[in-house]
Amino acid sequence: MTDETKPTLVLDHVTKRYGDFTAVDDLSLQVRPGRVFGLIGPNGAGKTTTIRMIVNITIPDSGRIELFGQKMETRLQDRIGYLPEERGLYRKMKVGEQLKFFAELKDVRGKEADERINRWLEKMDLSDWKTRRTKDLSKGMQQKVQFITAVIHNPDLLILDEPFSGLDPVNVELMKETILENKREGKTIILSTHQMEIAEKLCDDVCMINRAKKVLDGRLREIRHSFSRNAVALQIAGGDGLLDDKSLVVNVRQNGDDTEVLLAPGVDAQILLKRLVEAGAVVNKFELAEPTLHDIFIEKVREAS
Amino acid sequence: MKKFFTVIKREYRQRVRTRFFIVATVIGPVVLGLFGILPVYIANLNSGAATRLAVIDQSGKLYDAFEHALTTEETENLDSTGEKTQSNPQMQRDAQFGAQRFQSELVLLNGRTLEQGKRDLNERVRANELDGYVIIPPDVLGDGKPEFYGRNTGDIFTRESVADRLSRAVREQRLAEKKIDQRVLREASRPVTLVSTKISDRGEEKVSGSGFTLVFSFGLLIYMAVLLYGQTVLGAVIEEKETRIAEILFSSMRSFPLMLGKLVGVSLVALTQLSIWAMAFALLAGFGAGMAAAKGVPTNIPHVPPIVFVCFLLFFLLGYFIYATIYALIGSMVTTVQEGGQLAIPVVLTLLAGFYFVFPIIRSPNSPLAFWASMVPFLAPITMMVRITTETPPAWQIILSLTIGFATVVALVWLAARIYRVGMLMYGKRATIPEVWRWIRQT
Repeated sequence: MTDETKPTLVLDHVTKRYGDFTAVDDLSLQVRPGRVFGLIGPNGAGKTTTIRMIVNITIPDSGRIELFGQKMETRLQDRIGYLPEERGLYRKMKVGEQLKFFAELKDVRGKEADERINRWLEKMDLSDWKTRRTKDLSKGMQQKVQFITAVIHNPDLLILDEPFSGLDPVNVELMKETILENKREGKTIILSTHQMEIAEKLCDDVCMINRAKKVLDGRLREIRHSFSRNAVALQIAGGDGLLDDKSLVVNVRQNGDDTEVLLAPGVDAQILLKRLVEAGAVVNKFELAEPTLHDIFIEKVREAS
Repeated sequence: MKKFFTVIKREYRQRVRTRFFIVATVIGPVVLGLFGILPVYIANLNSGAATRLAVIDQSGKLYDAFEHALTTEETENLDSTGEKTQSNPQMQRDAQFGAQRFQSELVLLNGRTLEQGKRDLNERVRANELDGYVIIPPDVLGDGKPEFYGRNTGDIFTRESVADRLSRAVREQRLAEKKIDQRVLREASRPVTLVSTKISDRGEEKVSGSGFTLVFSFGLLIYMAVLLYGQTVLGAVIEEKETRIAEILFSSMRSFPLMLGKLVGVSLVALTQLSIWAMAFALLAGFGAGMAAAKGVPTNIPHVPPIVFVCFLLFFLLGYFIYATIYALIGSMVTTVQEGGQLAIPVVLTLLAGFYFVFPIIRSPNSPLAFWASMVPFLAPITMMVRITTETPPAWQIILSLTIGFATVVALVWLAARIYRVGMLMYGKRATIPEVWRWIRQT
């Protein structure tokens, strides 16, 4: 998984406008194979429009999209699995027939299709619902059926637009596990979400979009590292006066049970720990605090405006 | 291509299996049967009690003739041998259908004044011993005006019948006084029967006269099919918009095979149903004809040459598809079926425009007007059928007309697919014409 690996997907200066409204503005990004790529940003940032261009529902006004090293075309659609944000299933169709239909639309037919459908229903704990009409299913179940339609043809690239909405905690875990399983099988996954905490846990790379523009992209670890602000999360008793020393600590913030301190420039966390122990404080927790995606995002958006 | 069939299969199976489809398919022939059998049955019923009339005959010589006219059917259609002619069975049935029976009695004034007689009769009408009475004036054969008094003068059927039958009595009386024999008169006024023979490339053919009716029922059939299934096509196109499945569909296939697949799928459902109905109708008609033949009533099943039958099928398909596609096109622009239904009506009415061309084309089926009218796809199903049944045009014209027609269908589907694809990305609003135009150029 080096940077030299040929990217699965390349967007090159892609722009899409609807009338006067620019939905995606000069967006460039690369998605590398076998990784979970997070497309994150607030609602209305342009995530869905970007995805629609990737799956060839709409065509960019300008710019180039390349998938598996080829220019985007209808034939490549069969190698993509797509879970759209606005979900839709035929309400009156039985679950099994519905899955068969979508499998055939992706050129998976006959016995092969039946086997895969049964396997997935089993996995998603939906086997008992195969002959029921879709409208009789709960929202979470429908969501899982929809997910099966996205993976039934064993796609090389899986695009999931807000896959966790409407799921209960148990199913969120099931979904996360399934996504990671796909990654282990070498699939490339694009995960679009505005839930930063989930993106943080699942993604290898992220691209942040705000108001149609890319604000940041790269490996999640590197991004967080580059944004690390020399901060420490503490749980201590005693030694309080020490934190008022401006030559040591520039900012103190209470975050739940944690006390978050921002160290003065040039001060190493080790020095703080040493000084705390010397001052007789009881240290219950001492952790180097990396900024969350949420923090980074807020910071970037503030920067831009 | 496989995906195209996948769409057809889904549309077809989902619809054919609905309870609604099955019920409608069964109910159709039953209703048809009822409409075929009921009128005949009703016609055979006695049309209620006889209407009771009293007659004051001031002329003193008309009552017998009037009574005869009241109690017997019109005999104009009898020829000299007293046998019913075959010339107009329809009229005979109508006469029978509207038959009204009368009972009459002659009332003599016996010294009473006319006023007193009327007063007495009024009493009897009020007491419901009579339904009405007629006063025949003395100079009824001249300018005298008979009068009808009744409880229900608003009943125009009775009034008309009385007037008719009284006229008949008066006419017969006048003829008798001029010493003219009824039979001589009937013989003299018997109409001629015109036998028409069509000269075509295949020589001379007797014309059954059914061509005109054939075309009209043909047009009506297309119209019915479009009205019945147009809404279904509309619903099929809008379905994914409402449930937003469209995104998955578009991420899996092109919009043109999708749209065409939907149209063909729904149309196969329509054709399945129509075929079942047609077979039921054929069975019923065959059964009816058999029944009639058994009763000795000659039936005339129109002879349709096979080539006309093939054209009939082809142009029916063309007519159906052209208008069904318009529903698909409208479906691609709107967001709800209700909206679409309203928009579709004016467009489908253009089908009726085809009927306006029927008369000029029947008069000269090879005129330039006829030619061009049969090349316009929206008119061709009706106009070309008129030409085929009157004076069959050269084969190349029929083929050209069909080609133009089906090419138009494909073009319309393509257009619908294009509008649909762009339109679905802007949920929840109806497209304006400029927007639609922009969408067509987009993508």
